Amino acid sequence: MSEIEVQQLSRSYEYYRKQQGLSGSLKSLFYRQKLYAQAVQNVSFSIKSGELVGFLGSNGAGKTTTLKMLSGILHPTSGEVKVLGHIPWKREKTYQKQFALLMGQKNQLIQDLPAIETFTLNKAIYEIPEKEFQENMDELVTLFDIKDILDIQVRKLSLGQRMKCELVAALLHKPKVLFLDEPTIGLDVVAQKNIRDFIKKYNQEKKTTIILTSHYMEDIKELCKRVIIINLGKIIYDGALDDLIQKYATHKLLKVIFNENGVKRKEIEKFGEIDAFHPHVCIIKTARSEAKSIAASLLSSNLPIEDIIINEVDIDDVIRQIFNLSPKI
Amino acid sequence: MKKYWTIISIYWQRALTYRFTVLSYRVGEAGETLVLILMWIAIYGGDRTMISGFTVREMITYILVGNFFNAMIRNFLSMVIEKDIKDGRLSMFIVKPMSYFSYILSQEIGRISFSTISSVLTSGFVILCFANTFIWKFDGVYFLVISIMVILAFITELLLSYLVGLIAFWTDEVGGLYATIDRIKKFFSGGYFPLNLLPVVFVNISFALPFAYSFFIPAQLYLKKFDVTVGLKGLLVQCCWILILYGIIKIVWNRGLKKYEGVGM
Repeated sequence: MSEIEVQQLSRSYEYYRKQQGLSGSLKSLFYRQKLYAQAVQNVSFSIKSGELVGFLGSNGAGKTTTLKMLSGILHPTSGEVKVLGHIPWKREKTYQKQFALLMGQKNQLIQDLPAIETFTLNKAIYEIPEKEFQENMDELVTLFDIKDILDIQVRKLSLGQRMKCELVAALLHKPKVLFLDEPTIGLDVVAQKNIRDFIKKYNQEKKTTIILTSHYMEDIKELCKRVIIINLGKIIYDGALDDLIQKYATHKLLKVIFNENGVKRKEIEKFGEIDAFHPHVCIIKTARSEAKSIAASLLSSNLPIEDIIINEVDIDDVIRQIFNLSPKI
Repeated sequence: MKKYWTIISIYWQRALTYRFTVLSYRVGEAGETLVLILMWIAIYGGDRTMISGFTVREMITYILVGNFFNAMIRNFLSMVIEKDIKDGRLSMFIVKPMSYFSYILSQEIGRISFSTISSVLTSGFVILCFANTFIWKFDGVYFLVISIMVILAFITELLLSYLVGLIAFWTDEVGGLYATIDRIKKFFSGGYFPLNLLPVVFVNISFALPFAYSFFIPAQLYLKKFDVTVGLKGLLVQCCWILILYGIIKIVWNRGLKKYEGVGM
């Protein structure tokens, strides 16, 4: 059964332009022309219970706006949303107790106090029974290994430690649905991996439905089987991450390894576009349909070949390509 | 109730983290009261015994006791709300199963508890410094009326600050509005000088507004320059204001939230 149902969701923003300089500022004091931007346009999708879906898009694509509507922060201009059977912007307590929103760039922890105080605060707000609270907290704190930082002022913690505490604060009430907006932003590689591993484990063990947005492709590759790509407020792809490559990657990469004699660039140029060249290793970009035949003709040539590996184009490149193409799609 | 108490106690703890800031504010406050007293001593000089029915001792008592009451009433909620709305932090609150109104009011009470207590103690200390000049008057009935008046004035101020803060839904910043209202408030509260120094119309207007109940009226009641019935009528006016403000807040909040765009998220 679908836990999240979104139909024809749209939201526009009001803004105004200011001409450059002081005179522009003075003018705008008296007259401001109202303009409207479509942040989200006719977006529809549904997500099943326990799914972990990646929400991709460049800055300003409409990802966060959609998450804001799903969590009830924003009223849509038009369209319908049901999450766990509730209309989010009605802000019913029964709904609010069942989901959590975590934003990498906004924090809920009280900066001047140790994280444990925010946990206590959430316990009171979400009306979590003492026993359940202790169990949940112990479990999460152990998973993240943050027992020894719970009594340190939040502002003194590193960004990675802070994000772990943010996650704990968001999960104390055992939400059924979790919206993660850039949870790994600004973190170093190790901290990113920690958070990623945790999300993966949590999703598998608790069967929590998760929507994740991230600019880091590693997050998406490792966590999401399904992705929704949004650009200029419209969904341009919704499906399995693996199929994305089949659909959009028009090329494959042939990695050809030569023996110690090596080759000259011009000897292999005739086989296709050269992506990278070294006398002993070379990457050739070919159309998908031709990959096999080119590999065969390489093998049957006189070149000192040791091995050929056929690779898919990197997912980052595919997505970059989609964004470049999307206005035309 | 437990919810509210948890929030209050957590923000009380936070306030204690910055005790230096809280205490350094008190120096300025005590200084301001002293300047007002010095000014009035200079105005009275040696030859004037009475100005608009106030002797110099009554005037000094008015300033001291008025500031003492006022210390219990103030809050700084508007700027907190402005910041929450402007920076989009409000988003973090409105996804939680508790109303922002109850949350932020509890937070503010916790936040100002320490500064209010220290401010009241400072004002009390300044009164003791003028113990010989200060007019000591105690009357059970008056004490009761003044106490209720101060509590209602505290609630009124809290609601008014909340309302001013909510204007940030439309304007992003409310600093200017806050400063203007603060000055109007200080004037009509009698914080600059007793309102009966002015034509009687000002006193009448101030009775209808909520501001005088935080300084002028309780101070006049303390000095028994007003009858206790004036105080009782005042309590009624205060209750009306609380209801009016609450009603306006409901409307403004509902409209504002629809406009809210969670900027900066």
